[in-house]
Amino acid sequence: MTTAPFFTVNGTSVDLSPVPGSERLLDTLRWRLGLKGTKEGCRTGDCGACTVLVDRASVLSCLTLAHEVAGSEVTTIEGLAAEDVGARIVQSFADEGASQCGYCTPGFVMALASLLHERGAAGDLAEFEEDLQGNLCRCTGYVSIRRASQRAREAVR
Amino acid sequence: MSYAVRSDALAKARGAVPYGTDIESPGMLWGALVLAPITHGTIRSIDLTAARAIPGVTAIGPEDLPRLLPGVPTDPERPIFPSKTIQYHAQPIAAVAAPTFGAARRAAQAVKVETREHPAVESIDEAATGPEPEVIGHVHARYGDLDGVFRTADFVLTETYRTNAVSQVALEPHAAIAEIRDDGTWFVRTSTQSPFGVREDLAAMLGIPEPQIVVEGTWVGGGFGGKGSSLVEPYALLLARASGRPVRLALTYREEFLLGRSTLPSLIRLSSAVRGGTIVGRRVLWKVDAGSSLPGRDFATGYGIGFTVGPYRVPAIELEGIALRTHKPPLGPHRAPLAPQCAFAAESHMDHLAQRLGVDSVEFRRRHVWLSGDATHLGQTVGPFGLSECLAEAGARARKWRERLPENHGIGVGAGFWSTGTGAGGEARLFLQPERLRIVQGEPEIGSGSVIRGLAAVVEVVLGIPRERIEVDYRDTATAPFDSGVWGSRTLGALGQAVEKAARELRAELAKRTDAPEGAIRLTVQGPELAVEVDGVSRPVREILRRDEIENGGLTTYGTHYGAAGSFDALRVLDGTFYPYTDFTGAAHVAEVALDPELGTVHVVRYAAFHDAGRVVDFETAKAQVEGGIVMGLGTALTEEGLWSPEGVLQNPGLVDYRIPTLAEVPPIEVHFVEGFLGAGPFGAKGLGEPPIIPVPATIANAVRDACGEGPTELPMTGERLARHLKLLRT
Ligand code: FES
Ligand code: FES
Repeated sequence: MTTAPFFTVNGTSVDLSPVPGSERLLDTLRWRLGLKGTKEGCRTGDCGACTVLVDRASVLSCLTLAHEVAGSEVTTIEGLAAEDVGARIVQSFADEGASQCGYCTPGFVMALASLLHERGAAGDLAEFEEDLQGNLCRCTGYVSIRRASQRAREAVR
Repeated sequence: MSYAVRSDALAKARGAVPYGTDIESPGMLWGALVLAPITHGTIRSIDLTAARAIPGVTAIGPEDLPRLLPGVPTDPERPIFPSKTIQYHAQPIAAVAAPTFGAARRAAQAVKVETREHPAVESIDEAATGPEPEVIGHVHARYGDLDGVFRTADFVLTETYRTNAVSQVALEPHAAIAEIRDDGTWFVRTSTQSPFGVREDLAAMLGIPEPQIVVEGTWVGGGFGGKGSSLVEPYALLLARASGRPVRLALTYREEFLLGRSTLPSLIRLSSAVRGGTIVGRRVLWKVDAGSSLPGRDFATGYGIGFTVGPYRVPAIELEGIALRTHKPPLGPHRAPLAPQCAFAAESHMDHLAQRLGVDSVEFRRRHVWLSGDATHLGQTVGPFGLSECLAEAGARARKWRERLPENHGIGVGAGFWSTGTGAGGEARLFLQPERLRIVQGEPEIGSGSVIRGLAAVVEVVLGIPRERIEVDYRDTATAPFDSGVWGSRTLGALGQAVEKAARELRAELAKRTDAPEGAIRLTVQGPELAVEVDGVSRPVREILRRDEIENGGLTTYGTHYGAAGSFDALRVLDGTFYPYTDFTGAAHVAEVALDPELGTVHVVRYAAFHDAGRVVDFETAKAQVEGGIVMGLGTALTEEGLWSPEGVLQNPGLVDYRIPTLAEVPPIEVHFVEGFLGAGPFGAKGLGEPPIIPVPATIANAVRDACGEGPTELPMTGERLARHLKLLRT
């Protein structure tokens, strides 16, 4: 295991040396780096609002220590939305009206980005939805999120 | 193609919208609450010394209040901290603030509390051991020849239903950031459904005149009733006062469950007398666990009890509702407070009656359902009401689904009605500028879209202006026109009327200035600017406005709405306070479920909803409300339930043990609107935030009854509970 005292966030290098060993990646992102697009919900790994990408795989930042991502590349919604694929997913969510309060939305967008990265846009829809179960939404009833996910799959194909 | 309906859609998906939890202030401290370690008992001492010894920590307890409070609270019944007696487990008894989140949590843990424990009243169940709960609210109404109809009935059906405690589970926890400004203003930014309501609460709790308090609502990550009144704000403000620094106080998710004012269990006993195939009389006894709500504060019983009769004509009724005080957290409003629970009982009962009579349950409902102009159980006249039509559609859908129904599947229909809070007041100001139109108002957008989309849609209809040129501008309590807040599905129906009036006044003024009939005025886009178009001829808005208007934010108009409450026959009320309805909205839902006869688990195969929402102002937003309400209702129906130990400690304060629906279990949902029954809102709109959740538990229960012949009598209908229920019935 490397112990590089740095990780990158959306391409920018972050020095981990002032970060206490017990600090969660969620808090580092939000309160040290001001990246508030990553939402804080339960802090117990049960809602998905805090989802980020670590080396392109989705990770719950509330269950991850900042030092665990040393040497890795972290992408948050701010970075993803600026990329081509990310922008398409974001647009799909907007077009399908998949946000009400919107608190869950960045987490869904991140989870979807990682799924699309992992298995491409073609895979089985049911499996796809199965994998989105870790993200909770209390407002939409998921109907529009389902449509947005489908639209995003088509948009990145 | 991009066709985002809502102006907040892209920003939300990009994570660029600041919620209450996201706000920070330079030099702020992090707050934390100290929660009571016992359920019921006397506080012997609270020792803050160890907490205060941690560098940078400010700690406050009951004894500090006289020093910190600027005035005398006018609401001594709602103390910030209990001075003597702890009323529920995890009641806040002290608070701390520290330079970091971690230090604040450590400081909260360092507070030493000594108590003497008393036995706690944990349940309203007659079988519960322990002390009897105290009656803190009682409502009683009676009408018609009750004894006569029960004596001469063909048969009487009596049954008891039990309903669950459900939490709002907004994804964003309560969060506020407070500071005392140099000019003496108590300023708090908070994730709330009602900034003016919070200001009123704070004034009463802290003893400060309202003008000295400024509440600024943030974007809200879901409310569902849980963010309707003050919760974290008083503590954040007092910590700010004590420390001289801005203080951020957010609840942990565990605290959301422990403190969130949620729905509590209830017990509903229904008795119906039937003669000649119709209901001729009904008796209701409803016992509601009101938790540690204060005596007289139980609005729920007097309002909710009507839903146990349902939207049906019954010539003789007796309604008795009893609110009982237990040592649970206080009862609070949860999307259509207690209506889904009451409808579960009432609509299951309807199906059971139809089953006994051997008639179709939809036809049986339509025999009794209110039509416009009928009278409610308290003699209030029913306004335009399309539930009969909704039921007809639902019935047709149920028949169609029945044509090919696999074994162990069942189809259920459930209905519900609601009255939207169009009586509560609101005001709005419009500014017409050369390039855009701004709506300035005092309601934060909590998610439904009723502010950001609903209010904009009203202006769009009146002035013909394209939606991308409308800006909905939220302001704090110092600068916004007054509004009652987001509750009772009232935004479009009530605040929307204020906006409609302002828009009509603006149209009249433009008509005057352009010498055109009002009906001919349309605002259109001309390059970067707006133009007034009359019969195909456009004039730039810039030319129509006076120079001083352009310099001062635009041509402005003001609208207010203070609605009248309905009235009922007070002679029918024997005791307590009942509340009139203001607007009548209804829905009928249909579900197909697959029931596992061994495991008792219910899988919802498909779902259809038919709503009377008056004039539908924006179809996409309305449909989204219905979808969200249905799925939230599936949680109430199938999995959600707060569980307390006999000692009064909540056993499942987290998302693992309190299960809300996830994406994979949501069935295909159809949403339909039955139009033509106009409500009190703009152009005849009716509120739609709450109604969609109401029929859901009943609809699922009736589908289960259809699948196995027996109706569930308890919420939620978990597999384990249904398996037990079905086995019990079989033996
Ligand atoms: S905040 Fe991380 S999963 Fe909920
Ligand atoms: S939109 Fe509110 S939680 Fe998903």
